[in-house]
Amino acid sequence: MSKQSVRGSRSSARDRADERESATAVRLEGVTHEYGSTGGRFRSGDERTVTALRDVALDVPTGSIVGLEGPSGSGKSTVLHAVAGLLVPTAGSVELRGTDIAALSDAERTRLRRRHVGIVFQRFHLLPSLSARANVALPLVQSGVPRAARRDRATTLLEAVGLGDRTTHLPSELSGGERQRVAIARALSTDPDVIVADEPTGELDTATGQDVLELLTDVGRERAVLVASHDEATLAVADRVVTLCDGRVDDVR
Amino acid sequence: MLRRAIVRTRAVVGLAIAQLRRSPGRTALTVLAVTLAVLSVTVLASLGVGVVEKGEKGLDRANRDIWVSSDPVDPAASGTENPLVGAHGMAAEMTARDDVRTASPIAMYDVYVGPNASELERRPAVGVQKTHEGFDFRAGSGFAVDEEAAAGPPPDEPTTNEIVIDPRVADAMNVSVGETIAVGTSRQTAAAHEFTVVGTADYYSRYLSSPTVTMPLGDLQAIAGTSGTDRATFITVDVADDADRDAVASDLSEAYPEYDVRTSDEQVASMIEERTVVLASGATLVGLAVVGGVVLTANLFALVAHQQREQLAALRAIGLSRRVLAGTIGAQGLVIGLVGGIVGLAATPLAVLGLNRFSASVLGFENLLQTPLEVYLSGFALALVVGTVVAIVAGWRAGRYARIDHLEA
Repeated sequence: MSKQSVRGSRSSARDRADERESATAVRLEGVTHEYGSTGGRFRSGDERTVTALRDVALDVPTGSIVGLEGPSGSGKSTVLHAVAGLLVPTAGSVELRGTDIAALSDAERTRLRRRHVGIVFQRFHLLPSLSARANVALPLVQSGVPRAARRDRATTLLEAVGLGDRTTHLPSELSGGERQRVAIARALSTDPDVIVADEPTGELDTATGQDVLELLTDVGRERAVLVASHDEATLAVADRVVTLCDGRVDDVR
Repeated sequence: MLRRAIVRTRAVVGLAIAQLRRSPGRTALTVLAVTLAVLSVTVLASLGVGVVEKGEKGLDRANRDIWVSSDPVDPAASGTENPLVGAHGMAAEMTARDDVRTASPIAMYDVYVGPNASELERRPAVGVQKTHEGFDFRAGSGFAVDEEAAAGPPPDEPTTNEIVIDPRVADAMNVSVGETIAVGTSRQTAAAHEFTVVGTADYYSRYLSSPTVTMPLGDLQAIAGTSGTDRATFITVDVADDADRDAVASDLSEAYPEYDVRTSDEQVASMIEERTVVLASGATLVGLAVVGGVVLTANLFALVAHQQREQLAALRAIGLSRRVLAGTIGAQGLVIGLVGGIVGLAATPLAVLGLNRFSASVLGFENLLQTPLEVYLSGFALALVVGTVVAIVAGWRAGRYARIDHLEA
């Protein structure tokens, strides 16, 4: 593969690799989450709740990849959402670079997520009418990065994921593997410290999946990566694999 | 902070335009919908402005200050209604007043005219005491009934036997000034009455929107058989130079309570009132065009938001604000509104030109549609309204989809 290292895409100003090496980017302690427990005012008090996570503890150090495995409904996605600050667990603490996200307001959590978390979805979720470059640059719009800088950053990232010659292509003109690489480039656009990936190879065949995994491994050298997957090949790139079952940590290997 | 907001706004508009460019078919369809809505408003507005202006100009040109009539005057029936009785006497009475310079009755009938009694065609006829300089004769000249005859009761038989015909009627009958034609209110009476064509002019044709013949009032009443009742459609009154038009009108209204006395301004208003059904249908069509344009465009972009709901939810998860996401969809609606508005405004002069040609050739009205600046402003205002409504609806839908709940677990 003729791609540059994604590591090269980190901005030197924020390159604090030494500091990150030892740091724990993500720490979950005693995390319990019940869906339905924060229901609307029209729900009756004895509304049944679903417990998705029970007393989950988990660390993801910077520079490592942690895999999450477990059957459907075991709570993998809930852990990812909690790490990304997309939900606040009912109990326990989720720390992102030392900040407890439960203590933050919605707006602060969104800002934290935007700055420090990159998300990779199973189904890519690229805007179909925007070019690969525009899709990658999209998160930078929110931070108010000027157009020229957004383009430069997006082009650099696309080159880094091996799609330097596809910058103006629409998602529909790209293969599944290429789309996921665009999505990874998008996740990297704000230079986050943590990447969460939900079944990143779920829609890809083995060969293209392998390319994406190599890319994720590369990404994981400088960042904390949390990958949820059913796929053995995907979990194989993880430094550590946490098995979830019925919302509990069943095994760590 | 402000710089960031500007960068974001520019990016949102840029993203909206990029998305519109990627779907040329959808963009063209929505622009067309807005264009039609804007065009329907500008065309109807120019028609309204033109009609009112034509009415006012016509009355001004007729140079009559006050119109006396009686309801119903059905203008659509080519003046077959002649509700005023004793018109000559009334006109003479009015003329005798100090504050009135002249009062002239006008009658309207449908008559049969033809070069001879076997080739007759139905045409509207206007009966007046005399023709005037406003007639702008193409050939020949007009007629005038002497004052004595004008003041007295109408004769039972035509006495002047002179007629002014529309040039198109002259062409159709292949007659010219100096020749005689048959005129009657039925095929039988036409055989009995011959009139000499003294001139050709289309003066009244422009009011009645049909080629019209003009003849002395008494002669017209005689062939119509209404000499006895002395019927007319209007009496037009020209007030004396030093008299106040409104005061004279109110005096006359008191003197003739059974008739409607209106100043020329009121006459225009009443002519418009009589066309409320036409106006209502026009307004309904415009309303439908506007609502149709808004609904189609808003729906389409709401659908776009729906199609992209997973992507919107994902982008929201990534950290894009709902405002930015709703903005990229909403701005598309706004851009469509503006582009459609500009195209609609640009197409207005062409549509007006075409309709004016049509109206000139078919109806005989030249430059019926008028486009003052206000017409364009109203069209553009509508485009802005459509754009904003679409932007709000589409943006609101997009905002609703841009929630993490919509993200697949």
